[in-house]
Amino acid sequence: MASLPRRIIKETQRLMQEPVPGISAVPDDSNARYFHVIVTGPEDSPFEGGLFKLELFLPEDYPMSAPKVRFITKIYHPNIDRLGRICLDILKDKWSPALQIRTVLLSIQALLSAPNPDDPLANDVAELWKVNESEAIRNAKEWTRRYAMDN
Amino acid sequence: MEQFEQLLTCAICLDRYRNPKLLPCQHSFCMEPCLEGLVDYVRRQVKCPECRAEHRIPYNGVQGFPTNVTLQRFLELHIEITGELPDPTSGQIMERCNVCSEKAYCSFCSHCDKKICEECKGAHMEILRREISRINNQIRRGIHRLQDTLALVEKNSQNIQTNCLSVGEEVEEIYRRLNKALKDRTEYLRGELDRYLSTELRSLTTLKENLEQEISNILSNCDLADKHMNENVDIWDDCELMDAKEIFLKTVEFIRNFEYENSDYSRKVRLVLAHDPNQLVLHVAGFGDLNITNANSVFGQSSSLLQPPGPGLMRSKSDHRLASQFRQQEERGYGERGYGDDDQMLGGRKFGDRSKPTAETTSRYGRSGDYGDDYDHDTRPARSKYSRFRRHQTTENDSDSEQTPRVRFHENKERERPLDTEDVTRGPLSGITRLADSPRVMQKMQDCESGKTKKKEEPPKPPEPKVVPKRPPPPAVRQVSEEDEISRIKKQNKGASTSTETVTETRPVIEERQRKTPAPEAASSTEESEESVSVQQRKTPTKTPAPTTRRPSDASHKKTTRSASSDSSSTESSTSSSAIRTTGAPFTTEEVKKKILSRVETTPPSRNASSSPQAKPFQSRFLQNKTAPTPPKDEEIETSSEEETETEEETDEETEKTDNKELAKTDIGPLLARSANARDNSVENIRRRSREEADSPSRNRYTSPREKEKEEPFKYSRSRTSTVAEEEPTRYGYTSRFLNKSKSSAAIPPEEDDYTSRYSTADDDSKYPTSRSRYMAMKDRRQRLARSRSSQQFGDEDESEEPISPTSSNPSAYLASRGYGSSSSAHDLARSRSSHALKSRDNSPDRSASSAAEKDGAALSSWARYLKNKYGNRSGAKDKDVASGVSTPSASSSGAARRLSLGLPLRSSTELASSDDDSKNTQGSPTTPTAATAVVGIAQAVAGTTPRGQYLQKCQQLFQIGSRGSEAGCFTWPRGVAVGPDNTIVVADSSNHRVQVFDANGRFLKEFGQYGNKEGEFDCLAGVAVNRIGQYIIADRYNHRIQVFDPSGRFLRAFGSQGTADGRFNYPWGITTDALGFIYVCDKENHRVQVFQSDGTFVGKFGSMGNKEGQLEHPHYIAVSSTNRVVVSDSNNHRIQIFDVNGKVLTSFGSEGSAEGQFKFPRGVAVDDQGYICVADSGNNRIQIFSPDGTFLRAFGCWGIGKGEFKGLEGVAMTSNGHILVCDRENHRIQVF
Repeated sequence: MASLPRRIIKETQRLMQEPVPGISAVPDDSNARYFHVIVTGPEDSPFEGGLFKLELFLPEDYPMSAPKVRFITKIYHPNIDRLGRICLDILKDKWSPALQIRTVLLSIQALLSAPNPDDPLANDVAELWKVNESEAIRNAKEWTRRYAMDN
Repeated sequence: MEQFEQLLTCAICLDRYRNPKLLPCQHSFCMEPCLEGLVDYVRRQVKCPECRAEHRIPYNGVQGFPTNVTLQRFLELHIEITGELPDPTSGQIMERCNVCSEKAYCSFCSHCDKKICEECKGAHMEILRREISRINNQIRRGIHRLQDTLALVEKNSQNIQTNCLSVGEEVEEIYRRLNKALKDRTEYLRGELDRYLSTELRSLTTLKENLEQEISNILSNCDLADKHMNENVDIWDDCELMDAKEIFLKTVEFIRNFEYENSDYSRKVRLVLAHDPNQLVLHVAGFGDLNITNANSVFGQSSSLLQPPGPGLMRSKSDHRLASQFRQQEERGYGERGYGDDDQMLGGRKFGDRSKPTAETTSRYGRSGDYGDDYDHDTRPARSKYSRFRRHQTTENDSDSEQTPRVRFHENKERERPLDTEDVTRGPLSGITRLADSPRVMQKMQDCESGKTKKKEEPPKPPEPKVVPKRPPPPAVRQVSEEDEISRIKKQNKGASTSTETVTETRPVIEERQRKTPAPEAASSTEESEESVSVQQRKTPTKTPAPTTRRPSDASHKKTTRSASSDSSSTESSTSSSAIRTTGAPFTTEEVKKKILSRVETTPPSRNASSSPQAKPFQSRFLQNKTAPTPPKDEEIETSSEEETETEEETDEETEKTDNKELAKTDIGPLLARSANARDNSVENIRRRSREEADSPSRNRYTSPREKEKEEPFKYSRSRTSTVAEEEPTRYGYTSRFLNKSKSSAAIPPEEDDYTSRYSTADDDSKYPTSRSRYMAMKDRRQRLARSRSSQQFGDEDESEEPISPTSSNPSAYLASRGYGSSSSAHDLARSRSSHALKSRDNSPDRSASSAAEKDGAALSSWARYLKNKYGNRSGAKDKDVASGVSTPSASSSGAARRLSLGLPLRSSTELASSDDDSKNTQGSPTTPTAATAVVGIAQAVAGTTPRGQYLQKCQQLFQIGSRGSEAGCFTWPRGVAVGPDNTIVVADSSNHRVQVFDANGRFLKEFGQYGNKEGEFDCLAGVAVNRIGQYIIADRYNHRIQVFDPSGRFLRAFGSQGTADGRFNYPWGITTDALGFIYVCDKENHRVQVFQSDGTFVGKFGSMGNKEGQLEHPHYIAVSSTNRVVVSDSNNHRIQIFDVNGKVLTSFGSEGSAEGQFKFPRGVAVDDQGYICVADSGNNRIQIFSPDGTFLRAFGCWGIGKGEFKGLEGVAMTSNGHILVCDRENHRIQVF
């Protein structure tokens, strides 16, 4: 039995005790490294009012390597592709062990507020975002309403 | 504060900094594993997680970075302030796991003897668990064999009982017949002889008379002739002369012809024997022999013949013997090393101990033979019996050394002893421990129930499916690739085109699906099973045959028979000291109750509620599972030893008294039932009878199947039927006579005592044939009685116990004699009756004086009655007593003087008084308390010796009882020891789950109890106490209750259960009672002492967890002095505290250390009548004696297995004659000093 590293335990405890506003992360019953995450769409963004489900997995060498995060709820976002994969630097080369689950999730929340079409993952979305931002935002709102609000 | 804390937290591990290293960017991280993990080995760089600055790694790795000393100081400061304990893994260094080669905090795995990481260890444990459960199944399937055997054994024991019974009857029958034939013949011969003598004498007498007549006639004739024939006097005419001549001629002829037929009258009578008398005697002497039929015949079928018991007995024991033989072998193995012989099963390790990595080549269970054996049993049916028992593995002896505390503490990094089975039930035959008894296991179970910890190694339970992914779960791995994928896509995207989408789409879907199962289990489990197979293979070859040498360990056993040379003059000194206790209790029930109640109210309910051993937090935080918890520790540090001198003889009185006691129990029912008819017997009648009996001692009196009754009440009814008519009147005779006597002793003519003693001697004689097993005891007793009889005529004090014997049929009298000290015997009778819970049936109508009091008493509880009798009615008794009491001092002082002159150490003065009391009581002249104290004074003045002197000389072992084993007279971890009012030695044979009773010389008397949690069953009992009415009070430790047994060992009641509330216990340990019968219990894990009434009603408690005055930490044993000072061994505070009955601290003494007067985990405590305190200093393996004020007096003993050496001290007790009984736990014996 691989004992869960103390860091993960601590982080989990802290997440439970002092949840970040607008973010909930609950470890899976059967696997403590797997978290069910719900992020609320930030205010003043096209995603406002939506509840976005994500999954987060802490790899074996966490915190030396970044957690794996993916949107489960469909989202119209230039940095998030259709599979929910997120293009976020801190999840890749900019990962630092000093970061935590909460910081990662906060960063993702921030990413929702500030899409970065210059570093796109979903090219079509990024394209639209760059070309016709208002339509893109409309789409985003529409997707949010459709996928992130009805449940 | 929170921020402060945050500053001390490493950003990587989110834990307190551990060896913080300062990077050039001024950020600090723990060296391991945090900084280590950051290292980019290819570029020899480390990137600061905080600022992403990249730094070159020094030549010697990350440890070359400077340590952030300031931060470390802060850390220390923080620890100081918050009182937190350091991190468990601090100081540890990461190593490569020897199994999976991952770098981790490795710990030693007993399974594979390697240092491995937690993960692998978990897997190994899983393997073990599976294995255990599999083996367990096999055991379950095989256990019926034992059960069958058990049934067989039970049947056999019944058979053997009936067999012996019938043979015994037969022997008696033969004896009767022989006796009768002998007597008849003797009488016939005697009659013949008399007749012959008288007839012969008669004829001789007539002959004599005739001869005399003849002689006188002839002589007168001669004279006449002389006178008249020579003179020529014509007095005679011719006719007359002719006649005269004729007559003279006749006379001449007669004389000439007379011949005495000498032979006729010198015939000799000769006893002609048909057989050579020597032969005859031989024949009679060996008129029968016991022949035991051979093994295959079931016991009990031989009843009609006297079949000798040689090999049969052996046979019946065979398994047992074998087992003990093995045990001995093993013991020897350890013994030779000077080592503890307690843990053969796990090769000297405690259950769950880490074994020494170097020496231990066997499996985790140390002796792989064990399980393997059971396991393979089916496949190797031809194995000898030996295989059924543990085979000792020579290799394992090496692991012994870990038992020394030194080793243990030094090496605690490498070893752990998570489960201390030290006081656990152990199969007597196999030595297999009872896991459920291990405190560790119990705790684990408890924790497990409360969901706190995961359970570990509990064979009966199915293993927990704790399967763990051993490598990163697939999602992770794949996601890495996914990531690459993403970046690839991105690159592609950058290069334009949306065409690649299809590619990216398909794969992630699969991933997604797989990711849904977060923890794959299959892989690891297969791996495990593979391993388990290999483990098993490894196990089997390690079995080695047991060493076949045998150990002469019974040498020590023989010791117990010593001191049979008892001195009757010391006997009386050993009469119960219980009388003394009365003096220390100068208040009534009401007072006591009030006191205690108020105490209860005032006592703050501060109790340590934690049921876990105190060492737990330590263990978990500090050492994690690297060391054992402290409780085992203190039990094991005990190593050292010594000696002492003191010679005093034990007496056999105990035997007698127990007899009496038991008798009192068994006999009283029938006695009372028949007392109606019996009381019609007048005193004269009785006397006549007793006189008769005294006159004809040779007559076989079954009048006293009492003896028999005592041993086996159930037999009584049978054996007795034939003799009922004869015996009953006699017994009642005793009863009423004694009652009469005790009522008005002064009125009894002095000669009665004489009768009494004479009778009792005769009685004893007659008893011998019936009480086979007690022959030895009886012999001694006879001697003693003979002596005391003579001494009694001097009115000496010597016979104090002597008159008890005739009363043995009378329980009340017996009790009276046993020192209900200073109140009148009439009251004693009343009380003793009530204490035996007899309904107010009037035992002896002639006893009118006390009947009123008694009736009062009947309505009250036995306790209240007791007090009432004791104090309430005393005034009345006093008047009566004073007169007789007056005469006491002189007698007793002379007794004391005498004792001195005999060279016996004078016991405490109170004791003298008590023995005096006893004597007076039994003789019907009870001493008043005042008289008693007067006696005390005188006695002491006369004596001039104090117990102090006596104790100062202590150091030599007098004798010892027992050796390891489960047979009668053997022990497995004896713990508590107590002295009964009749000087019996009562031992809590803890891991045999029974109480054993020995007489004062260490002869086994009886045992009771077995493992279990039902009534009368024990689970590792610890403390024992005997109250003044001979009831046994047992601290049933793992059942968390107190049990009370009557003097015959029958269950009376139990009280308490596990918990921290009033009246509940957490491992109750030591126990004692005071003069008033209150029960004091050391509630060890609740760190308090609880007080109960004798019926189990809670009355108070004192102490709480802590080391301040009045606080306790793991109080183990307790004793109450005659002055009601409650002495508690405050083990983990290394001190003795003395409380008053209200729980107020009077004094305390001792501190941790090994100097004089210092302790290391003191355990047993005992107080003698003078208040001298004896402490079993278990950590130092010595006995220390203190004067009543706590000043050091003497210490003796050291670690070892020899005489006067100890290994793990437990309870101590002091007998009334100044002996110290010491429970030498690891040596499985009681030593007497």
